[in-house]
Amino acid sequence: HQVLRVVPQSDEELQKVQELQDLEHLQLDFWLAPRGLGLPIDIRVPFPSLQAVKVHLEAAGVSYSIMIEDVQALLDEEQTEMLRSSRQLALNTNTFNYEAYHTIDEIYNFIDLLVAENPNLVSKLEIGRSTEDRPLYVLKFSTGGTNRPAIWIDTGIHSREWVTQASGVWFAKKIVDDHANNEGVASILETMDIFLEIVTNPDGFAYTQTKNRLWRKTRSKHLFCVGVDPNRNWDAGFGEAGASANPCSETYHGPYANSEPEVKAIVDFVKSHGNIKAFISIHSYSQLLLYPYGYTETPAPDQEELHEISTKAVEALTSLYGTKYKYGSIITTIYRASGGSIDWAYNQGIKYSFTFELRDTGRYGFLLPAKQIVPTAEETWLALKVILEHARDNPY
Amino acid sequence: SPAMELSPSHFPAARAAAVALGYLRYLRGGPGRGLELRELRRARRQDIDDVGHKYYLELELEDVLDKDRTVNCTAEVLYPLGSKSSAPDVQVALQGELRSTEEADKEFYDHIRSLEKELVAENIPDSHGKVPPELEPIHLLAWVASGYVIWQNSTENTKFHLAQVKHVKQVKRSDEDLQFDYVILLHEMVSQ
Repeated sequence: HQVLRVVPQSDEELQKVQELQDLEHLQLDFWLAPRGLGLPIDIRVPFPSLQAVKVHLEAAGVSYSIMIEDVQALLDEEQTEMLRSSRQLALNTNTFNYEAYHTIDEIYNFIDLLVAENPNLVSKLEIGRSTEDRPLYVLKFSTGGTNRPAIWIDTGIHSREWVTQASGVWFAKKIVDDHANNEGVASILETMDIFLEIVTNPDGFAYTQTKNRLWRKTRSKHLFCVGVDPNRNWDAGFGEAGASANPCSETYHGPYANSEPEVKAIVDFVKSHGNIKAFISIHSYSQLLLYPYGYTETPAPDQEELHEISTKAVEALTSLYGTKYKYGSIITTIYRASGGSIDWAYNQGIKYSFTFELRDTGRYGFLLPAKQIVPTAEETWLALKVILEHARDNPY
Repeated sequence: SPAMELSPSHFPAARAAAVALGYLRYLRGGPGRGLELRELRRARRQDIDDVGHKYYLELELEDVLDKDRTVNCTAEVLYPLGSKSSAPDVQVALQGELRSTEEADKEFYDHIRSLEKELVAENIPDSHGKVPPELEPIHLLAWVASGYVIWQNSTENTKFHLAQVKHVKQVKRSDEDLQFDYVILLHEMVSQ
């Protein structure tokens, strides 16, 4: 079927088209009926009638244009689009599927729903834009006050670590539920705010959905290669051993510290807030809880306290499903890594700086089955609560 | 010099364990057996003059198809001095029996032979971590192959894991053997 458009310029032309209306056997469907001179007439013409209609118009010298060449194709496309968008249409955060991986649009939609449902607790902040101009959204959970001491949590800084963004979504909902039921972190929210950035590297995340599931870095352009490792780009031992100067490397630190807008946005936010008391970056995989430093073997001055917190946090985590975690400083537990987020945060004076590496230990690695999202988020939450409670009970 | 005790929780020991696991998968893995490391129980390192660094490991292994029990294993991983192009030397000794895979292997063999067209598959697991049950043996076979590649290419400073089977294609043969060409993606653990 095609859709033809005629714009009658004279009474004769108008009449010729109106004649067509009377020819019932042609089975014409007027999307825009004849209204007057100069006004378009759109006609859906079934395939068998196409030739007859065109001949009728051409013989009378009435010009027409083909608006839609193939109506069926358009219908097929629309169906696909509807199927796709019906995935996106979580109408509220109670019907949202936490047991599946989601697209950026679905997560940003979730964020808006959460804010709309809880306007007195949750707000959405845009702290910057990514290289490809995607918004960088942070959720603020606050019961009031002015510039209260706060917790920072980020997930998805390495885009391929999908269980982290998925867990971030779950955490957001959990905070809201705890507050509504006056349990869990409700008491923490009485005196502290929580900031949560779920899609910390949206360009990378989009890339993992469309082009390369195992993309890790940002998508900034450099000589020969794309992307900077956003967890080597912070101003803590920047450029030292534990990162690469090669733009094609997975651990390329970037041309200079904070070169990546995704990193700079957080740095600016944290510095201008001035009252962040805990900073937690969430990664996968390996099942580890780590504290500074990664760029130097010098122990962090608060190592003993951080180690103690880690012991309790891991105990809480393991208590749920038996998932085993190891913990320690970055450099002694895994390897030397420079320019990392929690080293920077710690050097800013944010004592309770931790990194998680979530499930698993390599069997699925980055491709963690979706059915493990919720158990992972649940057990991690218990560890996070230990850190949050310690931060609340030990102000500094 | 004498062997130094290492923390089994820390990566230097875990890197050596990954090599041992790769070697074990190559030796003993198959479409009906997927060996995983349940726990690294103990690790020691010895620096041998003019030879290299030798790791002594006590591992607890499990078969992902038989998770109710584990098998203990000792391993020695020697990273040769200097030469980056030489694979680490690995010796392993299993303390106990692994579950027999005779039946599973035969089932796999018969199944592949019964296919009308040569098997082709990609992205195992898929983006969401799913492996269709009928592709699990092919997946475990990739562990065998990647085990070899990981063993051969490891150094004291690398920790390789199989990230994904990008593509697998069965190669037509005139004899009764089965042959598969794999393209695998290896992840070298720098993520944090």
